[in-house]
Amino acid sequence: MKHAIEVHDLTKYYGKLLAVDHISFKVGVGEIFGFLGPNGAGKSTTQRMLTTLLEPTSGQIFLNGHDLAHDAYPAKRVMGLVPEESNIYSELTAWDNLIFTARLYRMPSDQRSACAQELLEEFGLWEKRDVKVENFSKGMRRRLSIAMAIIHKPALLFLDEPVPGLDAQSARAIRSKIRQLREDGTTIFLTTHDIEEASQLCDRIAIINYGKIAAIDTPERLKADFRRVQSVEVALEPGEKVEKDRLNDFRGVSHVIRAGDKWRLYTEDPSSLVPQIVHFAQDHGLRILHLHTLGPSLEDVFLEITGQEIGTVQHENNGQNNQGMKKRGRK
Amino acid sequence: MNHHPVWLRLKDELAQVATVALKDIRIYYLQPPMIMFGILLPFFLFFSFSIKRNIGAEAGIAQLLAMTTFFTASSAGPVIIPLERRMGTYDRLLAAPMSLATLLIGKTLVGAFFALIASILPLLVGVLWLDVAITDVALLIAGLLLASLTFAAFGMVFGSVPAQSVGSIMMPSTLIRWPLLFISGIFIPLSDMAPWVRTLAYLSPLTYAHDVLHFAISGDGHLNYWLDLALMVVLVIVFLVPASLLHRRSRVLGR
Repeated sequence: MKHAIEVHDLTKYYGKLLAVDHISFKVGVGEIFGFLGPNGAGKSTTQRMLTTLLEPTSGQIFLNGHDLAHDAYPAKRVMGLVPEESNIYSELTAWDNLIFTARLYRMPSDQRSACAQELLEEFGLWEKRDVKVENFSKGMRRRLSIAMAIIHKPALLFLDEPVPGLDAQSARAIRSKIRQLREDGTTIFLTTHDIEEASQLCDRIAIINYGKIAAIDTPERLKADFRRVQSVEVALEPGEKVEKDRLNDFRGVSHVIRAGDKWRLYTEDPSSLVPQIVHFAQDHGLRILHLHTLGPSLEDVFLEITGQEIGTVQHENNGQNNQGMKKRGRK
Repeated sequence: MNHHPVWLRLKDELAQVATVALKDIRIYYLQPPMIMFGILLPFFLFFSFSIKRNIGAEAGIAQLLAMTTFFTASSAGPVIIPLERRMGTYDRLLAAPMSLATLLIGKTLVGAFFALIASILPLLVGVLWLDVAITDVALLIAGLLLASLTFAAFGMVFGSVPAQSVGSIMMPSTLIRWPLLFISGIFIPLSDMAPWVRTLAYLSPLTYAHDVLHFAISGDGHLNYWLDLALMVVLVIVFLVPASLLHRRSRVLGR
Protein backbone atom coordinates (compact mmCIF):
# COMPACT_ATOMS: atom_id res chain seq x y z
CA MET A 1 0.00 0.00 0.00
CA LYS A 2 1.23 3.46 -0.86
CA HIS A 3 1.40 5.78 2.08
CA ALA A 4 0.48 9.45 2.15
CA ILE A 5 1.97 9.88 5.62
CA GLU A 6 4.80 7.91 7.20
CA VAL A 7 5.97 8.83 10.65
CA HIS A 8 9.00 7.14 12.19
CA ASP A 9 9.98 7.52 15.82
CA LEU A 10 8.71 11.09 15.96
CA THR A 11 9.58 12.90 19.17
CA LYS A 12 9.08 16.43 20.44
CA TYR A 13 10.41 17.99 23.58
CA TYR A 14 9.43 21.47 24.74
CA GLY A 15 12.44 22.16 26.91
CA LYS A 16 12.38 19.20 29.28
CA LEU A 17 8.74 18.35 28.71
CA LEU A 18 8.19 15.38 26.47
CA ALA A 19 5.13 16.18 24.34
CA VAL A 20 5.38 13.45 21.70
CA ASP A 21 7.17 10.26 22.60
CA HIS A 22 8.72 8.29 19.73
CA ILE A 23 5.52 7.68 17.79
CA SER A 24 5.36 5.82 14.48
CA PHE A 25 2.39 5.29 12.17
CA LYS A 26 1.42 5.24 8.52
CA VAL A 27 -1.61 6.62 6.73
CA GLY A 28 -2.60 5.11 3.40
CA VAL A 29 -3.39 7.16 0.32
CA GLY A 30 -7.09 8.03 0.25
CA GLU A 31 -7.63 7.11 3.88
CA ILE A 32 -9.46 9.18 6.50
CA PHE A 33 -7.27 8.81 9.55
CA GLY A 34 -8.60 9.99 12.89
CA PHE A 35 -6.23 11.24 15.54
CA LEU A 36 -7.82 11.24 18.98
CA GLY A 37 -6.58 12.05 22.43
CA PRO A 38 -7.29 14.11 25.53
CA ASN A 39 -6.22 17.74 25.57
CA GLY A 40 -2.49 17.91 26.10
CA ALA A 41 -1.88 14.37 24.84
CA GLY A 42 0.20 15.51 21.87
CA LYS A 43 -2.39 15.73 19.07
CA SER A 44 -1.79 19.30 18.05
CA THR A 45 1.96 19.01 18.48
CA THR A 46 1.95 16.02 16.14
CA GLN A 47 -0.20 17.79 13.60
CA ARG A 48 1.97 20.90 13.70
CA MET A 49 5.04 18.76 13.04
CA LEU A 50 3.29 17.03 10.14
CA THR A 51 2.40 20.38 8.61
CA THR A 52 5.96 21.79 8.95
CA LEU A 53 4.91 24.40 11.52
CA LEU A 54 6.92 22.79 14.29
CA GLU A 55 10.34 21.21 14.15
CA PRO A 56 10.55 17.71 15.61
CA THR A 57 13.25 16.99 18.17
CA SER A 58 13.91 13.70 16.40
CA GLY A 59 12.29 11.26 14.05
CA GLN A 60 11.25 11.35 10.42
CA ILE A 61 8.13 12.41 8.58
CA PHE A 62 7.44 11.49 4.96
CA LEU A 63 4.50 13.08 3.18
CA ASN A 64 3.77 11.46 -0.17
CA GLY A 65 7.29 10.07 -0.06
CA HIS A 66 8.99 13.43 0.60
CA ASP A 67 11.14 13.70 3.70
CA LEU A 68 9.88 16.86 5.42
CA ALA A 69 13.27 17.57 6.97
CA HIS A 70 14.99 17.85 3.59
CA ASP A 71 12.33 18.17 0.94
CA ALA A 72 9.31 19.99 2.36
CA TYR A 73 8.47 22.08 -0.71
CA PRO A 74 6.77 19.38 -2.84
CA ALA A 75 4.89 18.12 0.20
CA LYS A 76 3.67 21.63 1.00
CA ARG A 77 2.37 22.05 -2.52
CA VAL A 78 -0.08 19.16 -2.16
CA MET A 79 -1.06 19.80 1.45
CA GLY A 80 -4.11 21.61 2.78
CA LEU A 81 -4.46 22.73 6.38
CA VAL A 82 -7.54 23.61 8.43
CA PRO A 83 -6.40 24.58 11.93
CA GLU A 84 -8.66 24.48 14.97
CA GLU A 85 -9.16 28.24 14.90
CA SER A 86 -10.24 29.45 11.46
CA ASN A 87 -7.27 31.49 10.28
CA ILE A 88 -8.82 33.77 7.73
CA TYR A 89 -7.98 37.36 6.88
CA SER A 90 -10.92 39.20 8.48
CA GLU A 91 -10.14 42.38 6.58
CA LEU A 92 -10.62 40.65 3.22
CA THR A 93 -13.81 39.40 1.62
CA ALA A 94 -14.55 35.69 1.24
CA TRP A 95 -13.70 35.97 -2.44
CA ASP A 96 -10.38 37.70 -1.83
CA ASN A 97 -9.39 35.15 0.83
CA LEU A 98 -9.96 32.33 -1.64
CA ILE A 99 -8.15 34.04 -4.49
CA PHE A 100 -5.21 34.86 -2.21
CA THR A 101 -4.94 31.21 -1.16
CA ALA A 102 -5.19 30.06 -4.76
CA ARG A 103 -2.31 32.38 -5.62
CA LEU A 104 -0.33 31.12 -2.65
CA TYR A 105 -0.63 27.59 -4.01
CA ARG A 106 0.28 28.78 -7.50
CA MET A 107 -2.96 27.78 -9.14
CA PRO A 108 -3.12 28.87 -12.78
CA SER A 109 -4.99 32.17 -13.05
CA ASP A 110 -7.71 30.73 -15.30
CA GLN A 111 -8.64 28.15 -12.64
CA ARG A 112 -8.68 30.43 -9.59
CA SER A 113 -11.98 32.17 -10.17
CA ALA A 114 -13.78 29.04 -11.34
CA CYS A 115 -12.66 27.03 -8.29
CA ALA A 116 -13.43 29.89 -5.91
CA GLN A 117 -16.94 30.24 -7.30
CA GLU A 118 -17.55 26.50 -7.18
CA LEU A 119 -16.49 26.29 -3.52
CA LEU A 120 -18.39 29.37 -2.41
CA GLU A 121 -21.55 27.99 -4.00
CA GLU A 122 -20.99 24.56 -2.52
CA PHE A 123 -20.50 25.95 0.99
CA GLY A 124 -23.43 28.34 0.71
CA LEU A 125 -21.27 31.48 0.75
CA TRP A 126 -21.68 32.71 -2.80
CA GLU A 127 -24.16 35.42 -1.81
CA LYS A 128 -21.66 36.67 0.79
CA ARG A 129 -18.62 36.57 -1.48
CA ASP A 130 -18.08 40.35 -1.33
CA VAL A 131 -18.65 40.66 2.41
CA LYS A 132 -15.63 41.14 4.65
CA VAL A 133 -15.01 38.04 6.74
CA GLU A 134 -15.07 40.07 9.98
CA ASN A 135 -18.86 40.07 9.55
CA PHE A 136 -19.10 36.28 9.20
CA SER A 137 -20.52 33.90 11.82
CA LYS A 138 -18.32 31.14 13.25
CA GLY A 139 -19.91 28.55 10.99
CA MET A 140 -19.38 30.68 7.89
CA ARG A 141 -15.76 31.29 8.83
CA ARG A 142 -15.26 27.56 9.32
CA ARG A 143 -16.75 26.74 5.94
CA LEU A 144 -14.58 29.38 4.30
CA SER A 145 -11.52 28.10 6.14
CA ILE A 146 -12.13 24.63 4.70
CA ALA A 147 -12.78 26.03 1.24
CA MET A 148 -9.44 27.85 1.44
CA ALA A 149 -7.68 24.64 2.44
CA ILE A 150 -9.03 22.67 -0.52
CA ILE A 151 -9.14 25.23 -3.32
CA HIS A 152 -5.88 23.87 -4.75
CA LYS A 153 -7.25 20.31 -4.57
CA PRO A 154 -4.69 18.99 -2.08
CA ALA A 155 -3.83 15.31 -2.07
CA LEU A 156 -3.45 15.47 1.71
CA LEU A 157 -5.72 17.46 4.00
CA PHE A 158 -5.12 18.13 7.69
CA LEU A 159 -8.32 18.94 9.55
CA ASP A 160 -8.19 20.01 13.17
CA GLU A 161 -11.55 19.86 14.96
CA PRO A 162 -13.55 20.73 11.85
CA VAL A 163 -17.07 20.57 13.27
CA PRO A 164 -17.45 21.15 17.05
CA GLY A 165 -19.38 24.24 18.05
CA LEU A 166 -20.91 24.77 14.63
CA ASP A 167 -24.53 25.15 13.65
CA ALA A 168 -26.22 22.10 12.14
CA GLN A 169 -26.12 23.48 8.59
CA SER A 170 -22.38 24.14 8.69
CA ALA A 171 -21.61 20.82 10.38
CA ARG A 172 -23.61 18.91 7.77
CA ALA A 173 -21.96 20.75 4.89
CA ILE A 174 -18.50 20.01 6.28
CA ARG A 175 -19.16 16.32 6.97
CA SER A 176 -20.56 15.89 3.51
CA LYS A 177 -17.50 17.59 2.02
CA ILE A 178 -15.12 15.37 3.98
CA ARG A 179 -16.83 12.27 2.61
CA GLN A 180 -16.77 13.65 -0.90
CA LEU A 181 -13.07 14.47 -0.65
CA ARG A 182 -12.36 10.90 0.37
CA GLU A 183 -14.34 9.68 -2.62
CA ASP A 184 -12.13 11.89 -4.77
CA GLY A 185 -9.00 10.24 -3.34
CA THR A 186 -7.89 12.90 -0.84
CA THR A 187 -6.09 11.59 2.21
CA ILE A 188 -7.49 13.19 5.35
CA PHE A 189 -5.77 13.46 8.70
CA LEU A 190 -8.55 14.35 11.12
CA THR A 191 -7.71 15.56 14.60
CA THR A 192 -10.86 15.62 16.66
CA HIS A 193 -12.48 15.46 20.06
CA ASP A 194 -15.69 14.16 18.59
CA ILE A 195 -15.38 10.41 19.00
CA GLU A 196 -18.68 9.60 17.40
CA GLU A 197 -17.77 11.67 14.40
CA ALA A 198 -14.41 9.94 14.14
CA SER A 199 -16.21 6.62 14.37
CA GLN A 200 -18.56 7.59 11.53
CA LEU A 201 -15.96 9.19 9.24
CA CYS A 202 -12.62 7.49 9.78
CA ASP A 203 -11.20 4.37 8.17
CA ARG A 204 -8.69 4.07 10.99
CA ILE A 205 -8.14 5.80 14.27
CA ALA A 206 -5.09 6.39 16.43
CA ILE A 207 -5.51 7.25 20.07
CA ILE A 208 -2.64 9.23 21.51
CA ASN A 209 -2.14 9.42 25.24
CA TYR A 210 0.74 11.05 27.11
CA GLY A 211 2.51 11.55 23.79
CA LYS A 212 2.39 7.87 22.82
CA ILE A 213 0.15 6.03 20.41
CA ALA A 214 -1.97 3.94 22.76
CA ALA A 215 -4.05 2.21 20.08
CA ILE A 216 -4.35 2.29 16.34
CA ASP A 217 -6.89 0.37 14.27
CA THR A 218 -10.26 0.58 12.55
CA PRO A 219 -13.10 1.83 14.78
CA GLU A 220 -14.82 -1.56 14.79
CA ARG A 221 -11.67 -3.51 15.63
CA LEU A 222 -10.87 -1.11 18.43
CA LYS A 223 -14.33 -1.71 19.85
CA ALA A 224 -13.96 -5.47 19.45
CA ASP A 225 -10.72 -5.38 21.43
CA PHE A 226 -12.58 -3.82 24.32
CA ARG A 227 -15.44 -6.24 24.82
CA ARG A 228 -14.84 -5.89 28.54
CA VAL A 229 -16.38 -2.45 28.44
CA GLN A 230 -19.81 -3.68 27.35
CA SER A 231 -22.74 -2.18 29.17
CA VAL A 232 -26.41 -2.56 29.94
CA GLU A 233 -28.54 0.52 29.68
CA VAL A 234 -31.70 0.62 31.74
CA ALA A 235 -34.47 3.12 32.49
CA LEU A 236 -36.63 2.39 35.55
CA GLU A 237 -39.81 4.03 36.80
CA PRO A 238 -40.17 5.74 39.17
CA GLY A 239 -36.58 6.90 38.62
CA GLU A 240 -36.18 8.66 41.95
CA LYS A 241 -36.40 5.31 43.77
CA VAL A 242 -33.22 4.10 42.09
CA GLU A 243 -29.93 4.78 43.85
CA LYS A 244 -26.59 4.54 42.11
CA ASP A 245 -25.04 2.57 44.99
CA ARG A 246 -27.66 -0.14 44.68
CA LEU A 247 -26.86 -0.58 40.97
CA ASN A 248 -23.15 -0.60 41.70
CA ASP A 249 -23.68 -3.58 44.01
CA PHE A 250 -24.78 -5.86 41.17
CA ARG A 251 -22.42 -8.73 40.55
CA GLY A 252 -19.91 -8.09 37.74
CA VAL A 253 -20.58 -4.33 37.44
CA SER A 254 -17.40 -2.28 37.21
CA HIS A 255 -19.02 1.14 37.32
CA VAL A 256 -22.29 2.95 36.74
CA ILE A 257 -22.99 6.23 35.03
CA ARG A 258 -26.18 8.18 34.62
CA ALA A 259 -27.12 9.09 31.05
CA GLY A 260 -30.17 11.34 31.15
CA ASP A 261 -33.11 9.32 32.53
CA LYS A 262 -31.18 6.10 32.01
CA TRP A 263 -28.45 4.28 33.89
CA ARG A 264 -25.55 2.61 32.14
CA LEU A 265 -23.98 -0.32 33.99
CA TYR A 266 -20.59 -1.44 32.69
CA THR A 267 -19.79 -5.14 32.80
CA GLU A 268 -17.85 -7.86 31.04
CA ASP A 269 -20.89 -10.12 31.13
CA PRO A 270 -24.20 -8.47 30.21
CA SER A 271 -26.04 -11.84 30.11
CA SER A 272 -25.67 -12.39 33.85
CA LEU A 273 -26.46 -8.75 34.64
CA VAL A 274 -29.84 -8.57 32.89
CA PRO A 275 -31.57 -11.11 35.22
CA GLN A 276 -30.21 -9.22 38.23
CA ILE A 277 -31.77 -6.00 36.96
CA VAL A 278 -35.09 -7.70 36.31
CA HIS A 279 -35.15 -9.18 39.83
CA PHE A 280 -34.20 -5.83 41.29
CA ALA A 281 -37.06 -4.15 39.48
CA GLN A 282 -39.57 -6.79 40.61
CA ASP A 283 -38.37 -6.67 44.23
CA HIS A 284 -38.68 -2.89 44.40
CA GLY A 285 -41.88 -2.44 42.43
CA LEU A 286 -40.13 -0.66 39.56
CA ARG A 287 -41.23 -0.70 35.95
CA ILE A 288 -38.57 -1.33 33.30
CA LEU A 289 -39.09 1.28 30.58
CA HIS A 290 -35.95 0.52 28.64
CA LEU A 291 -33.39 -2.29 28.78
CA HIS A 292 -30.65 -2.49 26.24
CA THR A 293 -27.27 -4.22 26.04
CA LEU A 294 -24.56 -2.16 24.38
CA GLY A 295 -21.22 -3.10 22.88
CA PRO A 296 -18.34 -0.77 23.67
CA SER A 297 -18.62 2.60 21.96
CA LEU A 298 -15.53 4.30 20.68
CA GLU A 299 -15.92 6.67 23.59
CA ASP A 300 -15.74 3.71 25.97
CA VAL A 301 -12.59 2.54 24.22
CA PHE A 302 -11.13 6.00 24.50
CA LEU A 303 -12.04 6.21 28.17
CA GLU A 304 -10.57 2.78 28.81
CA ILE A 305 -7.29 3.68 27.13
CA THR A 306 -6.81 7.20 28.39
CA GLY A 307 -8.67 7.03 31.66
CA GLN A 308 -10.21 10.38 30.75
CA GLU A 309 -13.28 11.72 29.10
CA ILE A 310 -12.63 13.27 25.75
CA GLY A 311 -12.02 17.00 25.98
CA THR A 312 -10.64 16.94 29.50
CA VAL A 313 -7.19 18.30 30.11
CA GLN A 314 -4.46 15.81 30.73
CA HIS A 315 -2.50 16.28 33.93
CA GLU A 316 0.84 14.64 34.61
CA ASN A 317 0.05 13.89 38.22
CA ASN A 318 -3.51 12.75 37.89
CA GLY A 319 -3.49 9.84 40.31
CA GLN A 320 -5.93 7.69 38.40
CA ASN A 321 -3.95 7.95 35.19
CA ASN A 322 -0.51 6.93 36.25
CA GLN A 323 -0.81 3.66 34.45
CA GLY A 324 1.76 3.48 31.73
CA MET A 325 3.33 6.75 32.72
CA LYS A 326 7.01 7.19 32.89
CA LYS A 327 9.44 9.86 33.73
CA ARG A 328 9.01 12.40 31.00
CA GLY A 329 12.23 14.31 31.29
CA ARG A 330 14.64 14.61 28.39
CA LYS A 331 16.78 11.55 28.04
CA MET B 1 7.87 11.45 -7.62
CA ASN B 2 7.16 15.01 -8.68
CA HIS B 3 10.39 16.91 -9.31
CA HIS B 4 10.05 20.62 -9.53
CA PRO B 5 12.68 22.14 -11.86
CA VAL B 6 14.87 24.82 -10.26
CA TRP B 7 13.83 27.57 -12.67
CA LEU B 8 10.17 26.83 -12.06
CA ARG B 9 10.76 26.86 -8.34
CA LEU B 10 12.49 30.24 -8.59
CA LYS B 11 9.59 31.60 -10.61
CA ASP B 12 7.17 30.32 -7.98
CA GLU B 13 9.16 31.88 -5.16
CA LEU B 14 9.25 35.27 -6.90
CA ALA B 15 5.50 35.09 -7.46
CA GLN B 16 5.04 34.23 -3.78
CA VAL B 17 7.04 37.31 -2.76
CA ALA B 18 4.55 39.42 -4.72
CA THR B 19 1.53 37.50 -3.36
CA VAL B 20 2.61 37.98 0.26
CA ALA B 21 3.58 41.64 -0.21
CA LEU B 22 0.44 42.66 -2.10
CA LYS B 23 -1.82 40.97 0.42
CA ASP B 24 -0.10 42.76 3.33
CA ILE B 25 -0.14 46.11 1.57
CA ARG B 26 -3.86 45.73 1.05
CA ILE B 27 -4.64 44.70 4.60
CA TYR B 28 -2.28 46.72 6.75
CA TYR B 29 -1.77 50.08 5.08
CA LEU B 30 -4.26 51.80 7.32
CA GLN B 31 -3.54 49.97 10.58
CA PRO B 32 -3.41 52.55 13.41
CA PRO B 33 0.07 51.51 14.65
CA MET B 34 1.43 51.92 11.11
CA ILE B 35 0.04 55.45 10.85
CA MET B 36 1.16 56.40 14.35
CA PHE B 37 4.69 55.01 14.29
CA GLY B 38 5.34 55.43 10.62
CA ILE B 39 3.84 58.68 9.48
CA LEU B 40 2.92 60.93 12.41
CA LEU B 41 5.95 60.24 14.61
CA PRO B 42 8.60 61.45 12.13
CA PHE B 43 6.73 64.74 11.71
CA PHE B 44 6.49 65.26 15.47
CA LEU B 45 10.18 64.52 15.80
CA PHE B 46 11.09 66.81 12.97
CA PHE B 47 9.21 69.77 14.44
CA SER B 48 10.46 69.00 17.95
CA PHE B 49 14.11 68.98 17.01
CA SER B 50 14.29 71.37 14.05
CA ILE B 51 12.25 74.42 14.97
CA LYS B 52 14.41 77.35 16.03
CA ARG B 53 17.60 75.49 15.11
CA ASN B 54 18.16 77.44 11.93
CA ILE B 55 18.82 74.47 9.71
CA GLY B 56 18.44 74.90 5.99
CA ALA B 57 15.42 73.57 4.09
CA GLU B 58 17.58 71.01 2.24
CA ALA B 59 19.04 69.63 5.46
CA GLY B 60 15.59 69.62 7.06
CA ILE B 61 14.00 67.64 4.24
CA ALA B 62 16.87 65.14 4.25
CA GLN B 63 16.32 64.68 8.01
CA LEU B 64 12.61 64.29 7.61
CA LEU B 65 12.96 61.78 4.76
CA ALA B 66 15.48 59.72 6.72
CA MET B 67 13.27 59.64 9.83
CA THR B 68 10.11 58.91 7.86
CA THR B 69 11.63 55.96 6.02
CA PHE B 70 13.27 54.74 9.23
CA PHE B 71 10.16 54.74 11.42
CA THR B 72 7.71 53.63 8.73
CA ALA B 73 9.76 50.78 7.28
CA SER B 74 10.96 49.47 10.62
CA SER B 75 7.39 49.50 12.04
CA ALA B 76 5.93 47.16 9.44
CA GLY B 77 7.51 43.90 10.64
CA PRO B 78 6.85 44.48 14.36
CA VAL B 79 3.22 45.41 13.63
CA ILE B 80 2.23 42.94 10.93
CA ILE B 81 3.89 39.70 12.03
CA PRO B 82 2.63 39.64 15.66
CA LEU B 83 -0.86 40.55 14.40
CA GLU B 84 -0.73 37.66 11.96
CA ARG B 85 0.60 35.30 14.61
CA ARG B 86 -2.27 36.26 16.91
CA MET B 87 -4.88 35.73 14.20
CA GLY B 88 -3.31 32.41 13.18
CA THR B 89 -2.91 33.59 9.61
CA TYR B 90 0.87 33.46 9.89
CA ASP B 91 0.66 29.66 10.04
CA ARG B 92 -1.09 29.79 6.69
CA LEU B 93 1.96 31.53 5.23
CA LEU B 94 4.49 29.31 7.01
CA ALA B 95 2.76 26.15 5.76
CA ALA B 96 2.46 27.46 2.20
CA PRO B 97 4.78 26.22 -0.53
CA MET B 98 7.50 28.84 -0.29
CA SER B 99 10.83 29.18 1.44
CA LEU B 100 11.30 31.18 4.61
CA ALA B 101 13.52 33.58 2.66
CA THR B 102 10.64 34.26 0.28
CA LEU B 103 8.29 35.03 3.15
CA LEU B 104 10.82 37.35 4.79
CA ILE B 105 11.56 39.17 1.54
CA GLY B 106 7.83 39.57 0.87
CA LYS B 107 7.30 41.06 4.32
CA THR B 108 10.36 43.30 3.91
CA LEU B 109 8.97 44.69 0.66
CA VAL B 110 5.77 45.63 2.49
CA GLY B 111 7.68 47.82 4.97
CA ALA B 112 9.73 49.33 2.17
CA PHE B 113 6.60 50.10 0.18
CA PHE B 114 4.92 51.82 3.13
CA ALA B 115 8.07 53.86 3.74
CA LEU B 116 8.25 54.99 0.12
CA ILE B 117 4.61 56.04 0.20
CA ALA B 118 5.14 57.86 3.50
CA SER B 119 8.19 59.68 2.09
CA ILE B 120 6.10 61.30 -0.65
CA LEU B 121 4.59 63.79 1.80
CA PRO B 122 7.86 65.28 3.13
CA LEU B 123 9.22 65.30 -0.40
CA LEU B 124 6.23 67.29 -1.64
CA VAL B 125 6.51 69.66 1.31
CA GLY B 126 10.17 70.22 0.45
CA VAL B 127 9.83 70.66 -3.28
CA LEU B 128 6.50 72.49 -3.54
CA TRP B 129 6.40 74.51 -0.34
CA LEU B 130 10.01 75.11 0.64
CA ASP B 131 11.36 75.28 -2.95
CA VAL B 132 14.02 72.68 -2.29
CA ALA B 133 15.89 71.77 -5.48
CA ILE B 134 16.96 68.15 -5.61
CA THR B 135 20.59 67.94 -6.73
CA ASP B 136 20.56 64.30 -7.87
CA VAL B 137 17.10 62.80 -8.42
CA ALA B 138 18.40 59.34 -9.39
CA LEU B 139 20.51 59.18 -6.24
CA LEU B 140 17.54 60.31 -4.17
CA ILE B 141 15.38 57.52 -5.59
CA ALA B 142 18.13 54.93 -5.07
CA GLY B 143 18.75 56.23 -1.55
CA LEU B 144 15.07 56.16 -0.62
CA LEU B 145 14.66 52.66 -2.07
CA LEU B 146 17.66 51.21 -0.28
CA ALA B 147 16.97 53.06 2.96
CA SER B 148 13.41 51.74 2.96
CA LEU B 149 14.57 48.19 2.30
CA THR B 150 17.29 48.39 4.94
CA PHE B 151 14.96 49.70 7.64
CA ALA B 152 12.21 47.24 6.69
CA ALA B 153 14.72 44.38 7.04
CA PHE B 154 15.78 45.90 10.37
CA GLY B 155 12.13 45.83 11.49
CA MET B 156 11.90 42.19 10.44
CA VAL B 157 14.42 41.29 13.15
CA PHE B 158 11.95 42.48 15.80
CA GLY B 159 8.91 41.14 13.97
CA SER B 160 10.52 37.70 13.95
CA VAL B 161 10.70 37.49 17.74
CA PRO B 162 8.15 34.83 18.72
CA ALA B 163 5.31 36.91 20.19
CA GLN B 164 1.66 37.53 19.48
CA SER B 165 1.26 41.07 20.72
CA VAL B 166 2.34 44.19 18.89
CA GLY B 167 3.03 45.90 22.22
CA SER B 168 5.52 43.32 23.42
CA ILE B 169 7.52 43.70 20.20
CA MET B 170 7.17 47.48 19.84
CA MET B 171 8.63 48.14 23.29
CA PRO B 172 12.08 46.57 22.65
CA SER B 173 12.10 47.78 19.06
CA THR B 174 11.47 51.36 20.22
CA LEU B 175 14.17 51.04 22.87
CA ILE B 176 16.66 50.21 20.15
CA ARG B 177 15.39 52.51 17.42
CA TRP B 178 15.57 55.71 19.47
CA PRO B 179 19.24 55.44 20.39
CA LEU B 180 20.00 54.60 16.77
CA LEU B 181 18.20 57.80 15.77
CA PHE B 182 20.13 59.99 18.19
CA ILE B 183 23.57 58.62 17.32
CA SER B 184 22.96 58.69 13.57
CA GLY B 185 24.11 62.19 12.70
CA ILE B 186 20.61 63.37 11.87
CA PHE B 187 20.47 65.99 14.60
CA ILE B 188 24.22 66.57 14.98
CA PRO B 189 26.23 66.43 11.74
CA LEU B 190 28.85 63.68 11.64
CA SER B 191 31.58 66.29 11.07
CA ASP B 192 30.68 68.04 14.36
CA MET B 193 30.82 64.85 16.40
CA ALA B 194 33.67 63.80 18.68
CA PRO B 195 35.56 60.87 17.10
CA TRP B 196 34.22 58.30 19.56
CA VAL B 197 30.64 59.50 19.02
CA ARG B 198 31.19 59.31 15.26
CA THR B 199 32.35 55.72 15.66
CA LEU B 200 29.08 55.01 17.42
CA ALA B 201 27.20 56.78 14.62
CA TYR B 202 28.60 54.32 12.11
CA LEU B 203 26.76 51.56 13.98
CA SER B 204 23.44 53.10 13.03
CA PRO B 205 21.99 52.22 9.61
CA LEU B 206 20.26 55.58 9.72
CA THR B 207 23.65 57.30 9.39
CA TYR B 208 24.15 55.95 5.85
CA ALA B 209 20.56 56.62 4.80
CA HIS B 210 20.68 60.20 6.04
CA ASP B 211 24.11 60.77 4.47
CA VAL B 212 23.05 59.61 1.02
CA LEU B 213 19.73 61.48 1.16
CA HIS B 214 21.51 64.62 2.28
CA PHE B 215 23.93 64.25 -0.62
CA ALA B 216 21.13 63.66 -3.13
CA ILE B 217 19.27 66.79 -1.99
CA SER B 218 22.05 69.25 -1.20
CA GLY B 219 25.05 67.79 -3.03
CA ASP B 220 26.96 67.55 0.23
CA GLY B 221 27.65 64.40 2.26
CA HIS B 222 30.10 63.14 4.83
CA LEU B 223 30.83 59.74 3.28
CA ASN B 224 31.13 58.56 -0.30
CA TYR B 225 27.54 57.94 -1.38
CA TRP B 226 28.51 54.75 -3.16
CA LEU B 227 29.74 53.47 0.18
CA ASP B 228 26.43 54.48 1.78
CA LEU B 229 24.48 52.60 -0.89
CA ALA B 230 26.73 49.52 -0.74
CA LEU B 231 26.53 49.36 3.05
CA MET B 232 22.75 49.54 2.95
CA VAL B 233 22.63 46.61 0.50
CA VAL B 234 24.84 44.63 2.87
CA LEU B 235 22.70 45.62 5.85
CA VAL B 236 19.52 44.30 4.20
CA ILE B 237 21.15 40.88 4.04
CA VAL B 238 22.69 41.21 7.49
CA PHE B 239 19.32 42.02 9.10
CA LEU B 240 17.50 39.19 7.36
CA VAL B 241 19.91 36.64 8.87
CA PRO B 242 18.80 37.09 12.52
CA ALA B 243 15.19 37.39 11.29
CA SER B 244 15.55 33.99 9.66
CA LEU B 245 17.27 32.50 12.74
CA LEU B 246 14.50 33.81 15.01
CA HIS B 247 11.89 32.21 12.76
CA ARG B 248 13.73 28.91 12.97
CA ARG B 249 13.89 29.30 16.73
CA SER B 250 10.17 29.95 16.80
CA ARG B 251 9.63 26.72 14.82
CA VAL B 252 11.61 24.79 17.43
CA LEU B 253 9.86 26.42 20.39
CA GLY B 254 6.41 26.09 18.84
CA ARG B 255 5.53 29.76 19.42
